[in-house]
Amino acid sequence: MNGWLIATLALMAGGLVPSGWLALRGDPVRRLIGVCLAGPVVTLTLVLLAHAAAQPSYLIVPLALAPLSFAGTLVFTRLLGPRP
Amino acid sequence: MSGLHIAGWALVTAGVAVVVAAAVAAAVAPGAYARLHPLTAMTSLGAPLTGAGVAVLDGGGPAGGLTLATVAVLALTGPVLGSAIGRVTAQREGRIRRDPPP
Repeated sequence: MNGWLIATLALMAGGLVPSGWLALRGDPVRRLIGVCLAGPVVTLTLVLLAHAAAQPSYLIVPLALAPLSFAGTLVFTRLLGPRP
Repeated sequence: MSGLHIAGWALVTAGVAVVVAAAVAAAVAPGAYARLHPLTAMTSLGAPLTGAGVAVLDGGGPAGGLTLATVAVLALTGPVLGSAIGRVTAQREGRIRRDPPP
């Protein structure tokens, strides 16, 4: 197990678990914050995983995920707003 | 192990530590507004630190450039998301009025 994999596992255990706990419980805004936190965590996890696998071509996945996660969270903020 | 290698791993370790600390802080913080602060720290500090470390370890290759582009997107969009979620929270709590019709 190299340093990349250790960093990946640390991010998954320390970042994804709290984000999932926020996203799965409570009111809608709390869940949205959990989803919003999970986006950067998963993006960075995929960056480190691509280096752990020594496959630079895999980096296109986190590069696509970063703006998609941003747009998806913005859609949810719009949907959670008060009704007219 | 060169000095550049040590500096790269130090940056990656610091970035991962900031991201993990921010996620745990957001999970235990009381209220929506307190949870938004760690989110901004994660995207504005943790992600660039990790990306800089990866770029240093890559030694100026294309993988480092792709990584820096990815963390740049995260750093630019994180504060926008924090602001948008704060706004919708304030609207739901009745602190501010809903958006005017276009």
